[in-house]
Amino acid sequence: MFTPFFYILKAKGLDVSTTEWLTLMDALDKELCGASLTNFYYMARMILVNSETDFDKFDKAFLEYFKGIKATDKLPAKYKRWLETEEQENELNRLMKPEDDYNYLMQNKDDKDKKKVEEMFRERKAQQNTRHDGGNQWIGTNGTSAFGHSGKAPGGIRMSGKTGMQSAFAVIDEERYRDWRIDKALNYRQFQVAFRRLRQYSSRLDVPKTEFDLDKTVDKTCDNGGYLSIEYSQPRKNTVKLLLLFDSGGTMIPYMHLCNNLFKAVDKANHFKDVKTYYFHNCIYSHVYKTPECEDGDWVSSDWLFRNLDADYKVVVVGDMQMAPEELYDKDGNYRGPNDGFSGYEWLKLYKKHFKRIVWLNPAKHDYAKLMDWMQAEAAIQDLFPTYKLSVKGLNDAIKKLMNPAAL
Amino acid sequence: MSETNFKGTSEYIASEQLLAAVNIAIALQKPLLVKGEPGTGKTMLAEAVAKALGKKLIIWNIKSTTKAQDGLYVYDTVQRLYDSQFGGENVDDIAHYIKLGKMGEAFKSDEQVVLLIDEIDKADLEFPNDLLWELDKMEFYIHETKETVTAKTRPIVIITSNAEKELPDAFLRRCIFHYIEFPTPEQMEEIVKAHFETIDDDLLHEAMKAFYEIRKMRDVRKKPATSELIDWIQALNLGGIPLDKIQKELPFVGVIVKKDEDLETIKKNRIGY
Repeated sequence: MFTPFFYILKAKGLDVSTTEWLTLMDALDKELCGASLTNFYYMARMILVNSETDFDKFDKAFLEYFKGIKATDKLPAKYKRWLETEEQENELNRLMKPEDDYNYLMQNKDDKDKKKVEEMFRERKAQQNTRHDGGNQWIGTNGTSAFGHSGKAPGGIRMSGKTGMQSAFAVIDEERYRDWRIDKALNYRQFQVAFRRLRQYSSRLDVPKTEFDLDKTVDKTCDNGGYLSIEYSQPRKNTVKLLLLFDSGGTMIPYMHLCNNLFKAVDKANHFKDVKTYYFHNCIYSHVYKTPECEDGDWVSSDWLFRNLDADYKVVVVGDMQMAPEELYDKDGNYRGPNDGFSGYEWLKLYKKHFKRIVWLNPAKHDYAKLMDWMQAEAAIQDLFPTYKLSVKGLNDAIKKLMNPAAL
Repeated sequence: MSETNFKGTSEYIASEQLLAAVNIAIALQKPLLVKGEPGTGKTMLAEAVAKALGKKLIIWNIKSTTKAQDGLYVYDTVQRLYDSQFGGENVDDIAHYIKLGKMGEAFKSDEQVVLLIDEIDKADLEFPNDLLWELDKMEFYIHETKETVTAKTRPIVIITSNAEKELPDAFLRRCIFHYIEFPTPEQMEEIVKAHFETIDDDLLHEAMKAFYEIRKMRDVRKKPATSELIDWIQALNLGGIPLDKIQKELPFVGVIVKKDEDLETIKKNRIGY
């Protein structure tokens, strides 16, 4: 049953497994959702979808497959057709009588704005003579007009659905779950979560022996002629060392909050063996700064970094790659400090050569930088380092890449 | 599903969707995974389900150091070694040193129980994967005694997560998933009323107005949740604060907002008052 729906879900990028699908079939067999489409919607969602970030994808698939199916909600028939079908517009418009709609609307409206909306509705009715989807003025779907449904007008009239157990279509069209979509920019918590994945365990560490070691204890006890001799060993510890490099150039100001969150998440994460943070301005040259202000002298040299941080450090660079080509390619392109004989591009290559695992997070990544002349620098750097957008998905991908360079 | 149908309790107000999720999970005999903001009553849900269905509740609290094995059984080797050394009783009987964990307890129970695995996201990333077989088959094997513990009646398993970590896919596929949304003001009123026998309506409204206003402030990092509101109302009630002062002065604001930086934000945002 509904097998095409399964494939639509897959096509929308939802990773639905056969087992989950069979579970849903089982649930249908047991008639757990009765005969209601709305209940079916919720049931299918709770079985097939595992994360609120995917609700949006599910909604889109559901709408595609079930569009046009008659919902059982109480809604004037012609509205339902109007809102759910794409055709027969002329006929519908002919059928439409302003008074009916008005009565329906008034039943569903709080007293508060009644008067205002009432006036507007009369006015609008008098002028409207076609179906409208997606405007900001007329009665119809998907717009920002106060009339219709699926609109974004906060104080408007809702033409379908009710509170509580809402009609499936009404719930969908609101796209309430969009906020959780994975490609949205990150908050602090999500940063923390992502960074927790950055770990590699090792027991070859200089930490106190606190864990009871059964095998060793048995061996020792045997050696000891049967007299008990308890042995402890070192607990597993994360061995990941992290170097963070932040661009604090002027173009990064809009992303300050984001970078601040990222920084705090790393700072709070106490599971790294070591974390070092430095700053640069637009591009990395012979020095990186100790503070975001990037003041001359308050820095360490890149050479120092290479000497003191071994190649095991995993490097995360955060920057928007916005710079003039000269800043990247000229041997004196650094207008804030010394170049020390290399261009920015050459310095970047030195970083790449020393640190085996570098990813670049760009809050304003352009996917088609190569095609744009004025993004020459961005394109060149993207060629040099694996680059990800600074979003939930981007950060997760970046961290996967750091852990396993063969991935992605 | 008629005899085990959860309808909420007088203290626990659940949305229709949540009720449906609970009942479907019970009917399909699958674990129910409940996610949502802290303070939206995820843990209380299990208590309410247990109470409503008249079943015993077993809570397995997960901590960062919890391992899957802890929930099944622990073999107390050290105790046995010492006992063997100093001639304790029953040293020959390994079973004597096998201590069942919470999950083992739930499986061994003669009657069906509600098993709450609380805050599963607190544990190691791989933790849920280590429980796949046990949750699927409702059985586990004790190597030391060569005994298989099989659930006499499948417990109703409720798992909560604060979404701190992504849970592994293989685990998620086996669960019925429900996301508890933050209650609307109307639902909130119902919830608060369920917690107090008598509550002054004006006090409730004033407190709720201030509460939702604080939640709306974008810079507040730790948004106050239901449990904080309830504590606050309790405090306001006991403190006998005049109504007009609630909105103006936010007395006992430390109950709803706990971070210094958030208190600063609220002060800044409320300069107009």
